[in-house]
Amino acid sequence: MIETIEINNNIFQLHPSGAIYWVTNKMLLIADVHLGKVLHFRKYGAAIPASAAYKNFETLTEVVNHFEPNTVCFLGDLFHSTLNKEWREFEKWVEYCKAKVILVSGNHDVIPQYLYENLGVEVIDELVLNDFHLTHHPSETDKGFNFCGHVHPGIRMKGMGRQFVKLPCFYKTKNQLILPAFGNFTGKYILTPSSNDEVFVIVEGEVICVSR
Amino acid sequence: MNNKQLISLTTSWFQSKSWTPFPFQKQTWKAFLDGKHGLLNAPTGSGKTYALWVPIVLQYLKENPDYKTKHTKGIKAIWITPLRALSVEIQQSAQQFADDLGTGMTVGIRTGDTSQSERAKQKRQMPDLLITTPESLMLLLASKGYEKTFKTLTAVVVDEWHELLGSKRGVQMELALSRLKTVSPNLRIWGISATIGNLEEAQDVLLGMDSDFRKNSVLIKAKEKSKIQVRSIIPKKMETFPWSGHLGLHLLEEIVPIIKSSKTTIIFTNTRRQCEIWFQKLLEKHPEFAGEIAMHHGSIGKDTRLWVEQAIRNESLLAVVATSSLDLGVDFAPVETVIQIGGPKGIAKFLQRAGRSNHRPGEPSVIYFLPTHALELLEASALKKAVKDEVVEDRTPYLLSFDVLIQYLVTLAVSDGFFPKDIYSEIKKTFCFQGITEEQWNWCLNFITVGTQSLQAYDEYKKVEVTPEGLFKVESRRIAMMHRLSIGTIVSDSMMLVKYVSGGFIGTIEEWFISKMKPGDTFVFAGRTLELVRIRQMQAQVRRSNKRTNNIVSFMGGRLPLSSQMSKILREEMQSARLPEANRKQSIPELKALGHIFERQERESIVPGENEFLIETFKTREGYHSLFYPFEGRFVHEAMSSLLAYRISLLSPITFSLAYNDYGFELLSDQFLDIQTILDNNLFTDEYLYDDLYKSLNSTELARRKFRDIAVISGMVFQGYPNKAVKTKHLQSNSQLLFDVFRDYEPDNLLYLQAYRETFEHQLEEGRLRKALERINSQEIVWKQCEKATPFSFPIITDRLREKLSSEKLADRIKRMTLQLEK
Repeated sequence: MIETIEINNNIFQLHPSGAIYWVTNKMLLIADVHLGKVLHFRKYGAAIPASAAYKNFETLTEVVNHFEPNTVCFLGDLFHSTLNKEWREFEKWVEYCKAKVILVSGNHDVIPQYLYENLGVEVIDELVLNDFHLTHHPSETDKGFNFCGHVHPGIRMKGMGRQFVKLPCFYKTKNQLILPAFGNFTGKYILTPSSNDEVFVIVEGEVICVSR
Repeated sequence: MNNKQLISLTTSWFQSKSWTPFPFQKQTWKAFLDGKHGLLNAPTGSGKTYALWVPIVLQYLKENPDYKTKHTKGIKAIWITPLRALSVEIQQSAQQFADDLGTGMTVGIRTGDTSQSERAKQKRQMPDLLITTPESLMLLLASKGYEKTFKTLTAVVVDEWHELLGSKRGVQMELALSRLKTVSPNLRIWGISATIGNLEEAQDVLLGMDSDFRKNSVLIKAKEKSKIQVRSIIPKKMETFPWSGHLGLHLLEEIVPIIKSSKTTIIFTNTRRQCEIWFQKLLEKHPEFAGEIAMHHGSIGKDTRLWVEQAIRNESLLAVVATSSLDLGVDFAPVETVIQIGGPKGIAKFLQRAGRSNHRPGEPSVIYFLPTHALELLEASALKKAVKDEVVEDRTPYLLSFDVLIQYLVTLAVSDGFFPKDIYSEIKKTFCFQGITEEQWNWCLNFITVGTQSLQAYDEYKKVEVTPEGLFKVESRRIAMMHRLSIGTIVSDSMMLVKYVSGGFIGTIEEWFISKMKPGDTFVFAGRTLELVRIRQMQAQVRRSNKRTNNIVSFMGGRLPLSSQMSKILREEMQSARLPEANRKQSIPELKALGHIFERQERESIVPGENEFLIETFKTREGYHSLFYPFEGRFVHEAMSSLLAYRISLLSPITFSLAYNDYGFELLSDQFLDIQTILDNNLFTDEYLYDDLYKSLNSTELARRKFRDIAVISGMVFQGYPNKAVKTKHLQSNSQLLFDVFRDYEPDNLLYLQAYRETFEHQLEEGRLRKALERINSQEIVWKQCEKATPFSFPIITDRLREKLSSEKLADRIKRMTLQLEK
């Protein structure tokens, strides 16, 4: 189910929800949840089933209960748009979650910082921890190995008999790991890896390395 | 003036032009003046415009005897045309008649091409006759005070009704008419249709289910039968002619003499891409054509299109390469020669195209048929036979299209608002919604007001609001604007304007095509090689390029299925082609040309006889191919392939990729498939047919694809503001995502279910499938294990447009797959 990898002597577990658990630091990394997206669409007249919105909170709760981290770090695009009523659900979730919550803010995060801070959520532009650099946008610096989101990575697989399939994935290059989008109402962007890249696809509740 | 006097007024006008009215014209005039509704069955180029425009004018003269001195304001008639290209023709001839009689009546056009200032002018003062499209009519229903505007209406004429009938634009028309029946008390409804198999039904759909309208209506058929001659272009060397493909460029040189020997030629292609390629290649091989040939398709800028249409009228161009954008129109401008490239996929469409040529009385219309691959010659011979026997297809009208209904309800809510009670009784009388239940109606109302059937806490869904009086109305200006921009039932990909950096508009192309390119890349569009300079706000800015490129613009969804009538004739032709060499020679030249292909097929497999059902298997680099040849036409093959694949997949986990054409279908797998197990398990049975078919759909992409249009039409996917820099990214999602969300969270959603229903009703014809299975069960099954691909199999196995079906776990499948790496 879970795939474990090692980067710079640190242990990371890749979870099929799209989250990564940083074992050494007891920190859970989650990118691109896009909370509030379903309600945002509904507000503008697109009748997407509202129940889809609540699935995100269920999954969030599940992973946090599974790993019991000390910190939950969101790598940007936590909320899709401006404040809407899904914020209240988020408030409840933060209250329920025992871990410290950090948001590395992304391009979609337009909700005022003080609202997060009122909940005890720390909002920052980037986080440098040990040899690791946590951002929303992919970033190539000498600040360390980069964990990021934003891209919603996916890849295309090909098989005999003209079979094709596109899947969301964790996408690792030499100095960077891009997380898949955690939210259930988000699309994916198809990347074409080069032979040095490592790709871990998410398929039917499993994380499978397909680049070996 | 009484009716007789009015008609003699017209007859003398006809005489002044040295024309004689046709009997069907006179019949129509009389019926109209008697207050009847009806359907006129008349082909293009037969003078159908005068059949209906004349009585509209006469009716006005009748009601306004002092018309010479005083013009009575207000719109008298709406003329609906499915194509913008047609409107100019109709305007010109209508205006001429109105002017010559000194009526003072005005004729205006309102389509997507009409300028903003012209529209505003029309809103203040409607012309007497408004020529418009179904979409633009809907937009008028979305503007405030439309009831007052249309009160004076005496007639709606729906031209080319057969074109609209089998599509959701037809449903849109039914709904608009249901409203106008109430709003305009003196309304007559008339349709004009080319010959189709179900003319009576076409009339029912047009007039709706209320008995007042049906009783008081007529069906008038024009007797003028235009003779058509089909001439196939047969390759000189059949041995080197390809077995598959759809471009037909091998025969390019063959049409050059045809073009050169006639004044004007229209070359019809089946897709816009094919049109671009042919235009490009003709110029490349024959530079002397520069400036003498042009291109016409729906994505080219309006100015160019109008220029080309005018040039066809003036006969100032030698040839025009066109798509269906020129199918219908240009009523009064026959050209000398018509060439059809590739199978037209339907008899009606072929006849219509043929009808564009040479309208000199007494002489037949000639159409050249250019096959794009060898077996298409069989199709050519089938077409000839169809023309001779006058076989024409039906157009199946849509039933219970909730997506169109939802769009319509929001349209009404955007303008003056509506009371459900009134509208329900109106739509209940349309053909499309005669079977709607109260429950389904309430579902639609809930959908547009609360967005769901079960209310959720914290919801801010907003579209249509209900006032305390019970009026359903859109209050938000933003939602109203977004809705107006989304009116329509033709779903295309997000479009991008193509403009020169220096200014100057070239046309529109689909966003996905541009998004694959980087600045500096070149592509061919509208017959020019262009270099992409930059993308700015949904505009691709380009400059001319001298580089050579094969990157020719392409568009999604260009392919049409072959009709059932055609496939039956095809099967018969197949048997004639089996005749021994000697007999074949005496028969049709197309079949004779096919001789060596049939011999090769015999050598490597067999050409199945009347009582044989052929199955071929072979292995290639791609995997294990199994081919089945029912010769039942694409629709049945589509259904049968997914049915069979599903039944096999129940025996053991397996994954298939499915392909089909008009002759047969293929199941391709990465595992060996033992045909004997299919026969032993009796998998061609027609028992549990419906059930199995329904379940097989869950595993294929068919319903998912249908859902794409439904999501856009019902307003769940917003396609963005055209030509505007307004950011819509945060409101864009794709229908794939939505389909999954509905499947997981709201599987009883009517729109989600509609996707399946449409697949059954319009894609897979269950009745025909059952008959085909019965036939197979009575035939002798011949299983040939071949060495390599056979001539029959070739066009199928090379088809890239495929369905998938799998009973394996995805996780297991991907373990056998490989990652697509950078090249």
